[in-house]
Amino acid sequence: MVILETMSLQRKLEILSDAAKYDVACTSSGVDRKGNSLGMGNSVACGICHTFSADGRCISLLKVLYTNECIFDCKYCANRASNDIVRASFTPEELSELTMEFYRRNYIEGLFLSSGILISPNHTMELIIETVRRLRQLHHFNGYIHCKAIPGADPALIELLGWYTDRMSINLELPTAESLKQLAPHKNRKNILKPIRQVQIGKKLFTDYKGVTPYSDRPVMQAVNVLTDTAGLPDLTGMTDSVGMAISNGISDGRPEPIAASVNDNSYKDNDIKDIIRTGSSLAPYHNRPATKRSFVPAGQSTQMIVGATDESDYQIMAVAEALYRNFDLKRVFYSAFMNVNQDPRLPSTEDGPPLLREHRLYQADWLIRFYGFTINELLDERRQNFNLLLDPKCDWALSHLDRFPVEINRADYHTLLRVPGIGTISAQRIITARKSAALDFEDLKRLGVVLKRAVYFITCKGRMMYPVKLDEDFISRQLLAVKERLPFGIEKDLTYKQLSIFDDANFKLANHDLVGGFLITGS
Amino acid sequence: MKNKRIYLCDNSIDGIFTAIYLAWSSRYGHSNIKIEEKYEGSKFANIELFAEYIVVDTDYNLSKKVADSIKKKISEEAYEMVCRVALSYYEGKADLIYRFLILAFAVGPTITERLSNEIVNRMFRLDRNVGREAHHLLGFIRFSQHADGLLISVIRPKNDVLTLVTPHFADRLSQEKFIIYDENRKLASIHIPGRQWILAQLPKLEQEKLDEIWGIDDEYSNLWKIFFKSIAIKERTNPKLQRNNLPLRYRSYMTEFKI
Repeated sequence: MVILETMSLQRKLEILSDAAKYDVACTSSGVDRKGNSLGMGNSVACGICHTFSADGRCISLLKVLYTNECIFDCKYCANRASNDIVRASFTPEELSELTMEFYRRNYIEGLFLSSGILISPNHTMELIIETVRRLRQLHHFNGYIHCKAIPGADPALIELLGWYTDRMSINLELPTAESLKQLAPHKNRKNILKPIRQVQIGKKLFTDYKGVTPYSDRPVMQAVNVLTDTAGLPDLTGMTDSVGMAISNGISDGRPEPIAASVNDNSYKDNDIKDIIRTGSSLAPYHNRPATKRSFVPAGQSTQMIVGATDESDYQIMAVAEALYRNFDLKRVFYSAFMNVNQDPRLPSTEDGPPLLREHRLYQADWLIRFYGFTINELLDERRQNFNLLLDPKCDWALSHLDRFPVEINRADYHTLLRVPGIGTISAQRIITARKSAALDFEDLKRLGVVLKRAVYFITCKGRMMYPVKLDEDFISRQLLAVKERLPFGIEKDLTYKQLSIFDDANFKLANHDLVGGFLITGS
Repeated sequence: MKNKRIYLCDNSIDGIFTAIYLAWSSRYGHSNIKIEEKYEGSKFANIELFAEYIVVDTDYNLSKKVADSIKKKISEEAYEMVCRVALSYYEGKADLIYRFLILAFAVGPTITERLSNEIVNRMFRLDRNVGREAHHLLGFIRFSQHADGLLISVIRPKNDVLTLVTPHFADRLSQEKFIIYDENRKLASIHIPGRQWILAQLPKLEQEKLDEIWGIDDEYSNLWKIFFKSIAIKERTNPKLQRNNLPLRYRSYMTEFKI
């Protein structure tokens, strides 16, 4: 290991941003906050992208690790203890000043701070907290802060961090407990889920608390105090009975329930999640609220999973994601195509590039679950474990449910419209607005910006289809395959390579270049 | 048949509103009237035969009357839409706004829902185009630091979005002195802490002067370039996606793309 006594800030930034680049989330969304007369900064709910890096990803936040020194040895991670790389750490002073100066020049929306584990989880958390404390209290920074909580840190520290940040995230890393054990032997799934649950409960208890009433006076807090007095402070096992109920009842407040209620919890065989939801141990509030007029993790929390390092199916991954959305109120689950950064022979090779198309399909399905009212069991099941790489999940679903189509544009309700391939939330909203004043025709749809090349097989306007179309699965799927899907640039080439492979197998190797030809696409 | 009457107005919200007021109250018949906004350089270049040209001097009292009645008789939403479209670079926006208002005063507040109507649709698209550029610039604007902590930024937007982006920065950087200079319009917004920000018309600046103003390198601009480079994942390099998200035209005044 190389240890440099003095290192320039430039070098540190280079090392610690390079080490943070695989972290997916770089969003600055979720809070609207005006500037104040004292400090600097505000926040915009829709988020602002400040630039786009050479890989085309949005840069919104100063995304760095506090340190890349780490006592853990997770096999997929470039900063694992067993790697011989240059190690560096910021100081809270350096990092807070850097953030302020970047922010003034409008380079960034705020800070996204993650970290390797230096000495111990608690020690690392304290350094992170000191950095954000300086930002908030010394520099009066009022912009966006996203922090990773360190699994295994003291819950009191987790809570304290929550008062300074806008968004907190704890990475699930891998979908199942087994793969976590296999690849990240120092991490423990319950230790990851517990702080997620803690932030969820905290957010519920402290919601809309703006520093006016001492929070111990608030009714819900008194309930907690009673509980904690009898049960001992950190242990809140009885919580599910009273406060826990209040929490779970209230949790759907404030935002529309995006998930259809038809899924029963038994479909998830995820015992960790069940256990964590049931027990509330170590999740009590710790009364160490700092003197800032801020609310608790106002932009909510997110998490991230690595895709393709272990052999979970898309179904397993999405079932976990859905369970997280349902049970932990996560704002986002991010999927990160696995890259074998350590060239570790025990892990899948990514010489042909990371599985970007698979990642893309997972994000599409994620959207369907969050905004389109789908459940994962509608998209995949025990028999069909992986997404069709050739067709997006919604097309795929529609093809196997042709009995529900075509739908009439001028009458179908919002949720029915959303299920039409090619019609997204914006198009559906526009259709509903525009049809109030006039019955819509295909020309009108075009003018509204509805893309018809896919939708045309599934809709009627004033009772007529655009062309006479036979509602036949083979016919339509041939037509749909002939429509070139607009994939994020750079993924297209994957698709052509993969055309010859078996539809549902996400784990196959890329076929050789001489196989490009695609006899599957016969239509058009 | 009456001769066509063309009202030639200043390229500003007030100019367009004044022309609309005059055109409307002339009772000459909407179909015989056209409103054109004036552009620098292209003055009278496309002059029409057999048309009567009327040059409109902007009158803020008349303009306010139009604004008030849009807010009262149509809706606040329609008013905002019209204002944003008036900032668009689209030539012919004055006449479009005129046609939109004729329709809107007849239909009422639901006009903004009539997306399948061609005029409303056109308005909607221009409105979105202006809004998008303004939103992009909230992120893409770069300040460089000058003596005494003064922050200066240069932009070159297609639409006249300075008035849409400045409030965001006045709120965010309330304790800072800053200037945002729109090179295309030679217009600058100036903010001094504790005061209302102002717009100022500036004389044309030479390119050298401009480079000097925006391109000052300091420790932090260098750190930013380092960060920008090292945060990209090499294996996922994707210039097409990058260009799609961040069109080249924005890059000329962005620190990280400066060589």
